[in-house]
Amino acid sequence: MTPNPILGCGIGLRFQHIDQILADKPPIPWLEILSDNYLTPGSVQQDYAIEIAQHYPVTLHGVGMSLGATEPFNDEYFQRLKALADQLHPAWISDHLCWTSAHGWVSHDLLPLPYTEETIKHVVQRIREAQDRLERRLVIENVSSYLQYQESALTEWEFITAVAEEADCKLLLDVNNIYVSAFNHDFDPCRYLDSIPIERVQQFHLAGYEDKGTHLLDTHGHPVSDSVWGLYKLALQRFGALPTLIEWDNNIPSLEELLAEAHKATEAHIHAFA
Amino acid sequence: MPLLELQHSLISALFQRDQLAEAAKRVKAQGSLSSEQRVGIYRNSAHGILLDCLESLYPVCFELVGTEFFGRTAHNFIDQAPPTSPFLADYGAGFVNHLAEHPALQEMLWIVEVAKLEWARHAAWHTVNQVASDFAQLEGLSEAQQAELRFQLPASAHLISSNTSIHSIWLAHQEEYPEKPQFEKIDLQEAQQVLLFREQRRLHQTTLSTDDWAFLQAIQQQLSMGELAEQFADQLPWLFSVAMQEGWIYSFTTTPPA
Ligand SMILES: [Fe+2]
Repeated sequence: MTPNPILGCGIGLRFQHIDQILADKPPIPWLEILSDNYLTPGSVQQDYAIEIAQHYPVTLHGVGMSLGATEPFNDEYFQRLKALADQLHPAWISDHLCWTSAHGWVSHDLLPLPYTEETIKHVVQRIREAQDRLERRLVIENVSSYLQYQESALTEWEFITAVAEEADCKLLLDVNNIYVSAFNHDFDPCRYLDSIPIERVQQFHLAGYEDKGTHLLDTHGHPVSDSVWGLYKLALQRFGALPTLIEWDNNIPSLEELLAEAHKATEAHIHAFA
Repeated sequence: MPLLELQHSLISALFQRDQLAEAAKRVKAQGSLSSEQRVGIYRNSAHGILLDCLESLYPVCFELVGTEFFGRTAHNFIDQAPPTSPFLADYGAGFVNHLAEHPALQEMLWIVEVAKLEWARHAAWHTVNQVASDFAQLEGLSEAQQAELRFQLPASAHLISSNTSIHSIWLAHQEEYPEKPQFEKIDLQEAQQVLLFREQRRLHQTTLSTDDWAFLQAIQQQLSMGELAEQFADQLPWLFSVAMQEGWIYSFTTTPPA
C-alpha cells in the first residue's frame, strides 16, 4: 500500500480530539500520530490510530528511539514501532536528534547531545541502524535546548547537517525549536536556517513557547508566536512550501482552534511566495 | 567513552538532586543562568512530564490530596523510582505502594484504595484486544468436553475487593455523571467489590453483589462447570445468566488449565 501524500499544513493527533475527528471527518490535510502513545499491540489506542489512518494521510512521530544514547537500542521498542508502521502505512517516521535513556533510566524528555565529531560518528551509526531496523529512511528533528556542553566544538547547524548528510536521513525542522534555542544560546536563527541543506528538509514543525524571563521554554502550550511565524516565512522561502505541522500538547485547545492555527500556516504558504 | 559518562552524569541529575552540581561541571554557564540552573531546567522538565503522567493516571487521588501534597509525593516517587521503560504506559504502578507507605496517609488508607482502582482502570484500558468465544459452540460439546468446560472473564477484567467505598468515591469525582453521589455523604467505611473491564472502546466499572463477586472469583480461579455447580448449586443458572448478559463472561475453554 502506498501512503497518501503529505501535503499542506496538518495537526498533531491528540486523544482529546479523536472521537470528534472520527465522527465529523473534518477536512484535515494530514495528521501526525505520536507513535509512543500507540505502541501496545492490539490495544484500543491502536484501534483508534488504525481508524484515523483509514481516513487521513498520517506520519508517525516519536520521542523514544533515543538515537543519541550509548546503550543498545531497545529491541521491543523498535519491534512495536515497526509493527505499528506496518499497520498504519505512515508517509514517514520521525524522531529527535537527542537522547532519552542512560544508566538504565529513561527520561521521557529530549536531552541534547554534545556537538562534537565523535558524537556525529556515534549518532550517524545509530541512525543507520534505526533505519535498517525500521526498513525506511528516518526524518530527524532538531530539539530545543537549554544548555550547551563544555565539550561542544561545533554549532548545532553544523552538527545536524553533518549527521543528516552522513546518515543519509531527512530532517524535520522545528522552527519554534530553532527560535527557542537561538534565544537560549544567543545565536542567529537565520544563520541556522541558511546553513541547512535544502534537499534534506522534509517537514516543518510549529509550536508555541513560554517566555520564562531568563529563557524560552518549549512547552507546546500556546499559539505560535509572531516571531516564530516570521522565521517560518524565511524557512518557506528557503526550503519551499514543505508539509508543516502544528504541535500542541499542553492546554490543548478545541479542534477548531487547532485547525485555525494550521490554517494560519497555510496562509503563510500562500503569502510567502506572493 | 566520554559520551556515556556525560549522559550518565546528566540523567543522574534528573533523578537525584544532589547530582546537579556534578552534572553542571559539563555544562557552560551562559547569560544570567548558571550551569547548575541550566541542568535544573531539565530536571524540572523531566519531572514535569512524569508528574503530568501521574496526574492523568490518578486524577481522583490528585483531587483528594490536593495539588501540593500530590506534587511533593510525586516528585519523591519520581526520584525514588525513575522510569526504566521507553513505554510511558508502564510508568506509575509503584505509586500506589508509595502512597501506602506515606506517613501522612496512614489514617487515610482509603485514598490508597482509590489509587489501586485508578491503576486498575489504566491497566484495563491498556489490555490488548481479545476475540470473544462463539457461545453457540457450547451446544455441540461432548460429555468429556463439558466436564472440562471453564469460562473466562475478559482479559482486561479486574476484581477489586475493598474495605472502603472506592466506587462511590470515584463516581463522586466524575464531572460527566449527573447523578453522582455527593462526596460528603459517602460512608467511607462501606466495603465495596468492584469489577472493571474494557469492552471495545468503553471501560465498565461496577459494584458487585456478594453472590456475583463470589461467582466471578470462582470463574477467575478457573473452576470447571462441575465445580461451579457444586459451589453455587441452584443459584448457578441465575448467576450465570446475569454474568452473560452483563458481558462479564467473555470466553470459554474445554482444555484443562495448565
Ligand atoms: Fe517538534
